[in-house]
Amino acid sequence: MAGLELLSDQGYRLDGRKPSELRKVQARMGIFTRADGSAYIEQGNTKALAVVYGPHEVRGSRSKTLHDRAVINCQYSMATFSTAERKRRPHGDRKSSEMSLHLKQTFEAAILTQLYPRSQIDIYVKILQSDGGNYSACVNAATLAVIDAGIPIRDYVCACSAGFVEDTPLVDLCHAEETGSGTAVALALLPRGGQIALLQMDARLHQDHLDPVMEAAMTACRSLGQVLDGVVRQHLQEVSILTGE
Amino acid sequence: MLKSKTFLKKTRSGRVLKVVREHYLRDDIWCGSELCVECRQESPPPPVLQRDACRESSLCASRHYIIPDTNVVLHQIDILEDPLINNVIILQTVLQEVRHRSAPIYKRIKDVIHNASKHFYTFTNEHHRETFIEREQGESANDRNDRAIRTAARWYSEHLKKAPDGEELQVILLTDDKGNREKAEGCGVIAYKCEEYIKSLIGSPELMDRLALCTDDANEITSSKILFPEHLPLSRIQAGIKSGTFLQGVFRASRDNYLEATVFVQGDGDDGTEILIQGLQNLNRAVHQDLVAVELLPRNLWVTPSSVVLVDEGPKGDEDGDGDEEEQKMLKCDASESMLKPTGKIVGIIKRNWRPFCGMLSRSEIKEATRHLFTPADRRIPRIRIETRQASALMGQRIMVAIDGWPKSSRYPNGHFVRSLGSAGDKETETEVLLLEHDVPHQPFSQAVLSFLPKMPWAIAEEDMRNRVDLRKLCVCSVDPPGCTDIDDALHCRDLGNGNLEVGVHIADVSHFIRPGNTLDQEAASRGTTVYLCEKRIDMVPELLSSNLCSLRCNVDRLAFSCIWEMNHNAEIISTRFTKSVINSKASLTYAEAQLRIDDTNMNDDVTRSLRGLNALAKILKKRRIDKGALTLSSPEVRFHMDSETHDPIDLQAKELKETNSLVEEFMLLANISVAQKIYDEFSECALLRKHPAPPPSNYDILSKAAKAKGLVIRTDSAKALADSLDMAQVEGFSYFNTLLRILGTRCMMQAVYFCSGMDSDFHHYGLASPIYTHFTSPIRRYADIIVHRLLAVAIGADCTYSDLMDKHKQAALCNNLNYRHKMAQYAQRASVAFHTQLFFKSRGIQNEDGYILFVRKNAIIVLIPKFGLEGTVFFENKEKRGPRLLFDEEVPSLTVEGHTFNMFDRVKVTISLDASNIQHQKIRMALLEPVYRREHVPKRTTGGCAEVTREVKCINSS
Amino acid sequence: MAVDMRLPAVRKQVPSFSEAQEKHLVVPGDVITTDVGFMRGHGTYMDEEKLTASVAGEVERVNKLICVQPLKTRFNGEVGDVVVGRITEVQLKRWKVETNSRLDSVLLLSSVNLPGGELRRRSVEDELTMRDYLQEGDLISAEVQSVFSDGALSLHTRSLKYGKLGQGVLVQVSPSLVKRQKTHFHNLMCGASIILGNNGYIWLYPTPGQQDEEAGGYYTSLEPISLADREVISRLRNCILALAAHKVLLYDTSVLYCYESSKPHKIKNILKPEVMEEIVMETRQRLLEQVG
Repeated sequence: MAGLELLSDQGYRLDGRKPSELRKVQARMGIFTRADGSAYIEQGNTKALAVVYGPHEVRGSRSKTLHDRAVINCQYSMATFSTAERKRRPHGDRKSSEMSLHLKQTFEAAILTQLYPRSQIDIYVKILQSDGGNYSACVNAATLAVIDAGIPIRDYVCACSAGFVEDTPLVDLCHAEETGSGTAVALALLPRGGQIALLQMDARLHQDHLDPVMEAAMTACRSLGQVLDGVVRQHLQEVSILTGE
Repeated sequence: MLKSKTFLKKTRSGRVLKVVREHYLRDDIWCGSELCVECRQESPPPPVLQRDACRESSLCASRHYIIPDTNVVLHQIDILEDPLINNVIILQTVLQEVRHRSAPIYKRIKDVIHNASKHFYTFTNEHHRETFIEREQGESANDRNDRAIRTAARWYSEHLKKAPDGEELQVILLTDDKGNREKAEGCGVIAYKCEEYIKSLIGSPELMDRLALCTDDANEITSSKILFPEHLPLSRIQAGIKSGTFLQGVFRASRDNYLEATVFVQGDGDDGTEILIQGLQNLNRAVHQDLVAVELLPRNLWVTPSSVVLVDEGPKGDEDGDGDEEEQKMLKCDASESMLKPTGKIVGIIKRNWRPFCGMLSRSEIKEATRHLFTPADRRIPRIRIETRQASALMGQRIMVAIDGWPKSSRYPNGHFVRSLGSAGDKETETEVLLLEHDVPHQPFSQAVLSFLPKMPWAIAEEDMRNRVDLRKLCVCSVDPPGCTDIDDALHCRDLGNGNLEVGVHIADVSHFIRPGNTLDQEAASRGTTVYLCEKRIDMVPELLSSNLCSLRCNVDRLAFSCIWEMNHNAEIISTRFTKSVINSKASLTYAEAQLRIDDTNMNDDVTRSLRGLNALAKILKKRRIDKGALTLSSPEVRFHMDSETHDPIDLQAKELKETNSLVEEFMLLANISVAQKIYDEFSECALLRKHPAPPPSNYDILSKAAKAKGLVIRTDSAKALADSLDMAQVEGFSYFNTLLRILGTRCMMQAVYFCSGMDSDFHHYGLASPIYTHFTSPIRRYADIIVHRLLAVAIGADCTYSDLMDKHKQAALCNNLNYRHKMAQYAQRASVAFHTQLFFKSRGIQNEDGYILFVRKNAIIVLIPKFGLEGTVFFENKEKRGPRLLFDEEVPSLTVEGHTFNMFDRVKVTISLDASNIQHQKIRMALLEPVYRREHVPKRTTGGCAEVTREVKCINSS
Repeated sequence: MAVDMRLPAVRKQVPSFSEAQEKHLVVPGDVITTDVGFMRGHGTYMDEEKLTASVAGEVERVNKLICVQPLKTRFNGEVGDVVVGRITEVQLKRWKVETNSRLDSVLLLSSVNLPGGELRRRSVEDELTMRDYLQEGDLISAEVQSVFSDGALSLHTRSLKYGKLGQGVLVQVSPSLVKRQKTHFHNLMCGASIILGNNGYIWLYPTPGQQDEEAGGYYTSLEPISLADREVISRLRNCILALAAHKVLLYDTSVLYCYESSKPHKIKNILKPEVMEEIVMETRQRLLEQVG
C-alpha cells in the first residue's frame, strides 16, 4: 500500500487528533541555574531545550559588535540520539546552520535589541527528541528561555508547523505527517500583534492553498501562545511567591 | 476533551531505529446511532445508524446493527454492497486492515460507506478512550486486532443498552473465524458466521448466491487430487526476487490460447521482457493481470509461442479430462533454435488482480446441482465455478461473477454470483457487458455532478466577457461528420488585405464550464474520454454541455478558445495568437456539404470563400507534413446504417474520406502543435503532451516479410523512409495492395500516449513527424484537452492556475488514467462494432465476399474483407477430426494446406455467416470458398476461435 | 568517587498563596496601561500609545514612572553598588571587569588606590605595570562609580575595603536575590566573611586577622587556610546555593540562619533536594519569626 492515510474520512489524523488540534504541550522555565535563561518544552514527542546567555560583552571577534543594538547569536543542534537513526554530527551540518539562521531571524524580530547596544545575546537550542516540528519547538523553547532571562521582547514568539493533506490544512505535524504530506510550512507569529516573524516552506504549495494553511498555522500559533502564556504566568507566580515575604 | 497517552515503539529493520509515536485517545467520538443521547456533539452530523435497523432474520428477531470483521469485509464485499444490508458499523481497525490487504476492496467499502442510503458508519475505535487496547506481551498483531474488534463490539452493545429504548437493539459481530467467535461469545457479544447470518435472513434468499465460498467449504467440492503445484509463500518469493532466481511481472493470458500466457517483466525504463508460460501446470492458477513470480525454465525446455488457436472447451465436470494433455501436445512443435523464447513457470502469486467478470453460466449437466461453471466473456479469464440455486433463471443471462479463490486441487477457480445484467444477445445487455468489460464508467451523471452545470436558460454574462475577445462578426463555420451534435471545433479564414490570410481555429471553451476540482471535473477526469459506440455515445461531460452549451452550433453565441494565425499564401505562419473568445458560427456543415460548396463554382458567399481558402492552405500544409515524413497509414473503418426505429444495423460500409476531412484535420494538427509548443514553453515541467514513440525495428518484421514476398523492399529506418517506401510500394494490377500494406503498417505502430513534460524527455510524435504534440481541439470528448486548455489559459493570463495543474506527479497520474481510458474506449468501440457486425450478419444470412489474407497462422489464416472492413479467421483444423495436412513456414510466412499454399495478401473468397451456437460468443464464421483445396474445404466447425472483427481505430491521426 | 544518583521524581507544586494576587504580575506583551500620563520605565515599551510590558515580572510604580522588574536579569548597576568582578582584559589605563552586567565594566587606572597612598601621582611607569597589580582572571571587589550612557559601569576601588580578592570561594547567583543593605561586607559569626556583591557574585573568605594597610589590597596571602575555616566556607557556599535555589533573598541574617539550620547535616548533603528544602523551610520560619 502506498503511504499512510494521513487523514481518515472521519477527520482523524494518524495519532487521533483532528486537523486543527495541537499535540500536548508541556514546558518548564528556569531549569538551569548557571544560564541567564533556560527552558524545556515537549510538543508531543518533540523535545527541545533552550538556553540563553546574555546580554553580555561581545566575545570573540570585536568586529561583530553593533553600535546601536545587540547581536543575536543562535545555535541549533540535535542530540545524536534524537532521531530514528543516530546522527553523526549533532550540529554544523547544512540543515542545522540553516535552522540557526532562521532562529536568529525570528528572534531579531522579537527581541528589543536596541536596548542593548554593543552587547550579545546567545541562544542555544538542542533537540533532544525529534518527532516533527523541530523548528517550532525550538522557537517556543527559546521564547520561554528569553523571557526567563529577563530580556525584553515585544511579545511571545510562537511557532507552529502546518501541512496540507486532502484539501485540509493540518497543524502541528508529527514526523510521519511531515514526511508524508509533501509541503510543510513553519510559521512564527507574534500573536498579539499578529505579525509574522518567519514563514518558511520547503516544498511547493499552490498559491490557492497558502492562505488556508497560513490561517490554520496562525490559529495554532495563537493557541500555542496561550499555552506558553500559562506556563510563564505559572512560573512567574511560583517565583514571586518564593521571593516575596 | 483530549485524553492523551504516549507510548514509544521500538522496531528493528536491519538497523535499530527509534520510533516515536503518539496515540491520542478521545472521548468525543460519536457512536453514530440515532438512538444514542449520550455522545452528542456540539454540531452533530446527521446520525448514520438508524433507529429501526430492521432486517428480518431467523437468528435475530429484534433490531440489530452488524459489525463485520476484517475477513468478512475482504471476502464478502459483494454481500455488504447489497442494498439489503444496511446499518453496519465498520471499525477503524477493520478498515485499516482492509486498506493494507486489498486496495480495490478498500475502495469499494469506502464507496459503500459514502453511500448515505446504506447507513454504514465508520467508528474510530482505535482512538476512542474506551475501546482502545494495547497489544499484550506475546500477542500477535492479528490477535490484537481481533481483540480490538471484540472490545469495540462489546462497547457498542453496552453503550446502546444505556440509550432509551435501546435494550432490544442488538449488535452482531460477523466473523468466520471460529476462535474469534467463541471468544466473542465468551465476553457476551453476539457473534455469527457470515454465512449463517445471511442464510437466516428471511425474504432474501438470492443473497446466498452472492456469498463468497469460504476456503474450508471449497475443499469438500473437489477431489483430493492435487492438480497444481503449491504456490510459494510471499517471503520466499521476495527472497527469490531479491536473489534473482524469480522474476516479478504481470501475467497476461493469451487471447487465443488458454494454455499459453506471457509474463511481462518490467525492465529499466520503458522496456521490458516477456516470458512465455505454457501448459496448465506452469500457468499454475494465475489469472490475467495478476502480479506473479516466475521462475525461468532451463534453456533446453524453452519453447516458441505456438500459433495454434485453442479455446478451453474443457472437461465439463470437475474431473480432469485427457483433452488437456492432448491439447498440450499440440503446443509442442519443433522450431528453429532462434525462435525459442524464454520460458518459465509461475511459482507464486504476489498480488491477485481479480475483479468481477461478466459472462454466462454453463449449466451443470446434473439437474439438481447447485454448482455450475461460469464462462467469462473475456477469453483470457478462466472459467469459474460458482454455486447458485437460481441456475435455471440465470441461464441465457449475462451475469457478473467474482472469483473467491483457486485451491490447488481444483481445475477451476471458485467464485460467487454478483448480479445479473440481462438476457444475452439483447442489445442493451450486450452493450452493458462490453462497457463493464472495458471498465468504461457509464452510469448516468450523479446529482452532485449535475449541480455544477450552469443554470438554464444560459446566456453569456458580463463577467464571462472578461479576458475574452468578441469574434462574433467573423465568418466561422464548422465541418463535422453527419449527425454530430458535439461540435468542438470551428474554423475561419479571411483575407487580411496585406497579402496575408488570417486563419482561426475555434475550440469549444469547455474549461470555462468545468472548473477545476469540483465534482463535475472529477467525474470528467475519471471518465477521460467520450466513448462512441455504434448506436450510443457515453459522454464524458453531461449532455447539456456536450450537445448544447459547449457545442459550437451555428447561429448561436458560443464561448470558444481561439488559435489564430496570420499566414501567407504559402501557408507559412507569420504570427500565432491564442485568445479566449466569443464566436457565432455561420454554418454547421457536414464533410459532404462542405465539399459540395468548395466544388460548386456558383457559390461565392463568405463561408464558401473561407472554406476554399482553408482548403488551399490545408493542401500545402499536408504536403509539407508528408515531406517531413508524416505517415499516412490506413485502417479499414466501417460505418453502419442504422434502422431509425429498431437501431439495428441495416447496412455496413467502409468509411470513405473526402478532401474536407483532411482540411479539418490539417488545421487541427496545426493548432495542436502550436498549442503544444506554447504550453511547453510556458510550463516546461507540467505541460500535458502527447507522444508517439518510434516502434522498435522488430515490429516491422511482418511488414518487411510481406513486402518481400511481393518482391518489394520496405525501409523502416526512419518515418520518412517508411512513408516513402510505402508510397513506392505498388503491385501491378493489385491496387488494393498498397492499402493492405498500410493496414499492416498500422499494426506495427506503438500506441500514442499522453505524458507530462516534466516526467519524460522524449517528446517526439513519430506518426506526425512532429517534435512536439498535444491534444487541444476536442475538449468536449477528451479530458486531456481540458487540461491543455487550462494550461494555455494560464499561459495567456486568461485564467488562474490551481495546484494540481502544476503538480507533475498528479499530472502523470492523470495521464496514466487518460491513456488507460483511451485504450479501453478503443477496445469498447471495437467490441461494439463486432457486436453490430454480428447483428448485421444475423439479419443478412450467409454472404459470399472477396477478401485478402492479412496474416497467416499455424492453423488458420486471417482474412480481411475490404467491403465491410471486416477481419476474420479461417481455421483449417479442428479437434474432433483430423484436419487437413498443414505445413506452416514461419519464415515467409505461408501455410500450405493439402498442397495449396496460402501467402499473405492472397485474394480469397469466403462465405460469411453468423455462428450462434454459443450464445455467449456469437461469432462471425468465415469459410473458404476459393481457392478450393482438395479435402473438405469447408471445415465442419470452426474450433471456437471467434472471428476477430476489428474496426481499426486510427491510433496515429486520431486528432 | 561516590556518586549520588536518583530517579526522576514528580516536581512539587508550589502552593499558590492568595497574597500573590496582590502583586501586579505581567508577561511580555501585556498592556500595563493605556493612560498616556505615565512615564515609560525599564521593562516596558510603547506599542501604539499603549504602555506594554516587555519582560515577565512585577510592575513597580514610582509616582508617574512605571517599570517592570523582571524576576531574573543581568545586573543593572547603580552608583554606589558593591560588586564583585573578574578582570577580563587589561587595556590602556583601564581594566575590563566582568561583573554579570550586560557589558563589561571599566576600572580606570585613575580609580584605584595604588600602593603608596592616596595622593600618589600616576606615572607612565604605572601604566606599564598595570598587570602587576591586577591581571586577567583576578577577582576584585569594587563600587560602582558611574554609569555610562550605553549602560556600562565604571568602577572604583578607592577604599580599603575594596580591591583584589585573595583566597576564598565565589558563588554566583541571580542579582535580584541579593538584598540591598547598608553594608555588603560582613564578618559572619560562624567564622568566615562574606561580600554580597549587588551583581549576584558572592565572595566567601576566611575572616582576615588584621587589616594589612601597606599591601593596599594587592597582596595575596597564600598561607594555607585551616580545615575548620574551609569547612565553614564550604558549608556557607552550599547554604547560599540552597537559598538561591528556593529564591530566598540573600543578606547576612538569612545566610547565617541558613548556616545554623544546616548544622545537623553533612556539608555534602546540603544540596540534596529534600535536605535543601528542609533547611530553607527552617530558615524562612526563623526569618518570619524575626520579622514578627
